Amino acid sequence: SVQAHKEEDNPEKTMEVNGLTPVPDSYDYDLIVIGGGSGGLAAAKEAAKYGKKVMVLDFVTPTPQGSSWGLGGTCVNVGCIPKKLMHQAALLGQALQDSRKFGWQFTEEVKHNWMTMTESVQNYIGSLNWGYRVALRDTKVTYENAYGEFVGPHTIKATNKKGIEKLYTAEKFIIATGERPRYLGIPGDKEYCISSDDLFSLPYCPGKTLVVGASYVALECAGFLAGLGLDVTVMVRSILLRGFDQDMANKIGEYMEEHGVNFIREFVPIKVEQVEEGTPGLLKVTAKSTTGDQIIEGEYNTVLLAIGRDPCTRKIGLDKVGVNINEKTGKIPVNDEEQTNVPHIYAVGDILQGKLELTPVAIQAGRLLVRRLYAGATTKCDYVNVPTTVFTPLEYGACGYSEETAVEKFGEENIEVYHSNFWPLEWTVPSRDNNKCYAKIICNIQDNERVIGFHVLGPNAGEVTQGFAAAIKCGLTKEQLDNTIGIHPVCAEV
Amino acid sequence: VRGYPEFMRTAQSYHGRPIFALFCGDKDAEGRSWCPDCVTAEPVVRKELHNLPDQSVFIYCLVGDRAYWKDPNNEFRRNLKLTGVPTLLKYGTPQKLVEEECFKAELVRMLFTED
Repeated sequence: SVQAHKEEDNPEKTMEVNGLTPVPDSYDYDLIVIGGGSGGLAAAKEAAKYGKKVMVLDFVTPTPQGSSWGLGGTCVNVGCIPKKLMHQAALLGQALQDSRKFGWQFTEEVKHNWMTMTESVQNYIGSLNWGYRVALRDTKVTYENAYGEFVGPHTIKATNKKGIEKLYTAEKFIIATGERPRYLGIPGDKEYCISSDDLFSLPYCPGKTLVVGASYVALECAGFLAGLGLDVTVMVRSILLRGFDQDMANKIGEYMEEHGVNFIREFVPIKVEQVEEGTPGLLKVTAKSTTGDQIIEGEYNTVLLAIGRDPCTRKIGLDKVGVNINEKTGKIPVNDEEQTNVPHIYAVGDILQGKLELTPVAIQAGRLLVRRLYAGATTKCDYVNVPTTVFTPLEYGACGYSEETAVEKFGEENIEVYHSNFWPLEWTVPSRDNNKCYAKIICNIQDNERVIGFHVLGPNAGEVTQGFAAAIKCGLTKEQLDNTIGIHPVCAEV
Repeated sequence: VRGYPEFMRTAQSYHGRPIFALFCGDKDAEGRSWCPDCVTAEPVVRKELHNLPDQSVFIYCLVGDRAYWKDPNNEFRRNLKLTGVPTLLKYGTPQKLVEEECFKAELVRMLFTED
């Protein structure tokens, strides 16, 4: 690897760091990727396939509670992967209850052990971290566990956890630094509250939990914590799942409320204090109404903040190289080829302005970008009709327009919505709700009743939605859907 | 060491120190293993042993004959979650190299020297 440059050895590099010309004609690397998450790793591995000399810099600044993790980014370590596993743990708890109605007999009461679950999940994540390191090493991508920041147009300073700095140069750069959870900015938030960054490796059961927020992160976490048997309350400032179809969001909220999750609506916390130390301890939360002067207080073992995520773009030296960011949000605007305003600097993933924050989107964007850069490809990432799923206790899968957006864009008279409640066969015997699962499609009347929105609320929503997403990409119309014979007995046949 | 009980006894006796283990198929009277990949991997791994961290332990473990290994319920598969031989692993962590990965000196070195 590269030594720190001394002034005598490399006058050109020094000049560059000082902001003067020229640029050395031979760089250390063809490509440096800042950020080893979904987007960054996909891009790095793809570039290595074309024989490029690539470096990946990945560094996790520990949370206020001290949590940190290995290579792989948010999805692998503190996002999709542990979330889905814990969601599954909660579903299995429900399945155990249902199983008695199907004839399974067990006399002991069934309890959940947080530590057992967390250890297994973390073990799996560890094997993924290791797998990525093996993959990078095997494809000759250089990986440094160091914090990267721009110090010159083609130069990055990488600082490792021991504080040792090294400089590297590259012809092109991809910024894929992702986001971190936002804090409230109230007394006690950083000292006493946790975020999703801490939750999945929490070394003790969270106990009675207050989840602040109404994002999918908040609802998914509240959902599985309640499913594991914990006392959960969700404090919501205004609406649930902003940006999602509100009809579906309300149904999700209703289901959760009927199944043991408490909701406190139209309140925001203003203060968090510690009543007792411990693992978990006891915290007192004071909250104010958003519609009046009412103040309420509550005591919880754990307060989980899930009020949004902010891009990690403010402290990586973008100002030094002239890359524009949205000052308010921190997001990076790019053209449809993921290029920033500086031609040799690109960006992918959650930090992009106006694009979906999803792992598969970042991966696809990263791969296609690299193919365009080094393999002469021209395909651009298609951000339209990207399917997604929210893993709340009642899962929600969607692809395309929400009802509100469709009405706004095409006019109410030009769209037709077909919908239906359904009762999964597996829910009948254990007498689970018969009117909660729901599916709807939104069609554009003016375009052959083309399906422009697909929404389903029910078990395995993600699995169901994936196939329909492919159909929608092919231009599925209502008629074609009607002519497709259903599989029976499955939820998807509706 | 040879066999699962001996491996576990040995690993436990070194509790507290980093333990690396290479699992290979049994060798015949001439010293050749029934597992061809193990034959290829062993010299590569042995050449990297000088890179082992201080205080660490390296255990070379013969798992058994081919029939024993093929049994999906053998103790190595069940308890140590081994999926193939050769396997080179850092005991107690999810870090391991399996089969062809063991042929690559770079990867072996990474397993031994990096966190």
